[in-house]
Amino acid sequence: MTYFTKTYDEAFINENSVRTNYKKFISWYKNQDNDELTKINSDAMKFFENTGVSFKVYSSDKKENLIPFDIIPRIINSKEWDKLVKGITQRVLAINFFLTDIYGQQEIIKHGVIPVDLIQNNTAFLKQMIGLTPPNKTYNHISGIDLIKTNSDNYYVLEDNVRVPSGASYMIENRDTMIKLFPEPISRYKVSDNRNYAKYLSEILKKSSPKKSKINPNIVLLTPGIYNSAFFEHAFLADKLGVELVEGKDLRVINKYLNMKTINGWKRVDVIYRRIDDIFLDPLSFKEDSFLGVPGLMEVYRNKNVTIANAPGTGISDDKSIYSYIPDIIKFYLGQKPILKNVKTFKCRIKDELKYVLDNLNKLVVKEVHGSGGYGMLVGPLASKTEISKFKNKIKKNPYSYIAQPTLSLSTCPVYTKKGLTPRHVDLRCFALLAQEKVTVIDGGLTRVALKKGSLIVNSSQGGGTKDTWILSS
Amino acid sequence: MLGSTADSLFWMFRYIERVENTLCMIESGFQLYLLSSSNLNNEWDAILRTNSIRHHFLKKNNSLDSLNIINFMLKDPKNFNNILILFEKARENARRSRVSITSEVWEAINTCWLYLNEELNKKINESKIQTIIKNTREKIALIFGFLERSMLKNEILNFCYLGTFIERFDNTVRILNTRYYLLLDEKKIRFEGYNNFQLEMILRSISSYRSFMWKNQNEIKANKVSYFLISDKDMPKSLMFCVNETIKNLRSIHKKNFPKNKSYQNALSIQKKIKQKSRNFNNYLFLNSLFKLNMTLAANIEEEFNFQ
Repeated sequence: MTYFTKTYDEAFINENSVRTNYKKFISWYKNQDNDELTKINSDAMKFFENTGVSFKVYSSDKKENLIPFDIIPRIINSKEWDKLVKGITQRVLAINFFLTDIYGQQEIIKHGVIPVDLIQNNTAFLKQMIGLTPPNKTYNHISGIDLIKTNSDNYYVLEDNVRVPSGASYMIENRDTMIKLFPEPISRYKVSDNRNYAKYLSEILKKSSPKKSKINPNIVLLTPGIYNSAFFEHAFLADKLGVELVEGKDLRVINKYLNMKTINGWKRVDVIYRRIDDIFLDPLSFKEDSFLGVPGLMEVYRNKNVTIANAPGTGISDDKSIYSYIPDIIKFYLGQKPILKNVKTFKCRIKDELKYVLDNLNKLVVKEVHGSGGYGMLVGPLASKTEISKFKNKIKKNPYSYIAQPTLSLSTCPVYTKKGLTPRHVDLRCFALLAQEKVTVIDGGLTRVALKKGSLIVNSSQGGGTKDTWILSS
Repeated sequence: MLGSTADSLFWMFRYIERVENTLCMIESGFQLYLLSSSNLNNEWDAILRTNSIRHHFLKKNNSLDSLNIINFMLKDPKNFNNILILFEKARENARRSRVSITSEVWEAINTCWLYLNEELNKKINESKIQTIIKNTREKIALIFGFLERSMLKNEILNFCYLGTFIERFDNTVRILNTRYYLLLDEKKIRFEGYNNFQLEMILRSISSYRSFMWKNQNEIKANKVSYFLISDKDMPKSLMFCVNETIKNLRSIHKKNFPKNKSYQNALSIQKKIKQKSRNFNNYLFLNSLFKLNMTLAANIEEEFNFQ
């Protein structure tokens, strides 16, 4: 099988020439028996199946699916990584300042950096959070920054996920699996550990506790329950953190504090690492008919008697229309030049930009401002004429809900197939943790890979897979 | 520990134990089928009644056909206590309490579930029944093995065992209750159709035939079988053994407070009742009252530890 790719490939310059990062791996790989590799590949899936690593696609049946795992690692050198860490740190800090400001004095609007209607008319902006300072002034304790690479030196930030970013458990499981399956090649490199994620997460959650209960705070992980698509990850992280995995029905507000129901009665809770969306947190403040949350939770939060991580209302900063302002946000709060690039974004809410978008749909990727998971988007170059004209009407009807970006040539990485290595497009989700204005970026992250030939959609809900990501230590 | 976690642990092991017990019964019936025994119909009838599914089965079937019954008990969706559904529930509870159990226990449960789903969703023919039962029982033994070897000896484990022994008590008392007439003292009444064969079948349906024979010099007598299943404190499926284990685990959870607790008091009264069983008791009423006391005990536990 010949290895051929039109876009930048991270492992191969051409069929016969391997890039430095991958040299040792590819030379090891070439000496392996193909039948043995096929076996290891199926062992990997068996391993995930037995450990119960699964996710669910929202559908009528209760079936659990495995996210396909590709056994070829993605390798990033330390120089490249150091730059990413600096860039991610900068973004995460700026986003926290932005959230503090936007729910406080709103200086950024007063200075005309961000138009007021972008905030006012935004459903992700929570009025309930205005004037409320969260414990330790931290909003985005956990961020998942999605990056793509287009050539040897260019990374772009695709999204800043600061609501309830997921995927860390796969990052850790992928590494565990690689160590079991391929001890030899991994030992040929110095690969930075990423399994310390839980340790760092535990530290920042402890630090984020309201003042009165700093010593051994009681931390819980709040899940919507076993039918949620990410339940595996919730249980996995609670286990690694050594904290209780709770559902709303386990919690109750008693005398201005949050409590959980134990076999010996009620016990106070100091920190909630929540994995449910804002609107489900408290039926008294948000969605009235939600059973997933706790009535009165926001009142406890207002009294600074509990920490919610991430804070409610963080969604305003990962809104896709705010995204285009992140470079301005960095300049405004930090007085620095953005280290990581943003993808050029056309805002359909602005007349001229809307016109450009409608005229060039076949070249653009159009996204819903609040969409996620790769749903509700149009990939212009791959869409049919009817799809484009349908989408055109959707945008015209509701221009505020859409943004558009040029189609970027995502880099490719080799994936394993029985017939040999073949290139597929990848992105990278990096995890950053924030406490007391200090950011920790976990070495690695989750590489997502589009397993269909030519596809640019890497989301697991749409047939994407994952890879282990090796950051080489210097 | 969360009340809801205690709930999940308790029910996870009730369901696992129920699967094991149901498999033993299917196996004993299947053995008779293979031997074309003349007692086959009586036995299936008793097994269906023990599981409270006779009525459901006969709605759809006119006769007690062995393979239909086995199929019904293993996987028929009309039977809410089929093996697939029971194990699905066990695994759901394991998922809920995933943080409390070790990865060894979890993986043992998960692989058993994967196995059952793969095997039982195919067509089950005669030649496969024994293999499926044997493999499943081995996989369940693995769960209990890892439970014993990999878990901390704390209240998490106590709730797993409480579920196990409440359920096992329930199973043994149901089996006895369905065939109480076999256990009447021979000197008093000889029930028509009574024979050693049926006593043997009781023992086989809880996989305890060999241990009984070993303890009783190869002699089957109603009063001995009755003592063995009700009062023998060494016999892991006897009522006495189960209630003793329940008491032990309740003591351990409650630490110093146990004398005050209702569940503990009720468990003690079950133990006392079994000890005081006289020679002249009314078998049916006695067993029936134990059955109800055990149900009350389970409800006490659920209430006392804030299950949901």
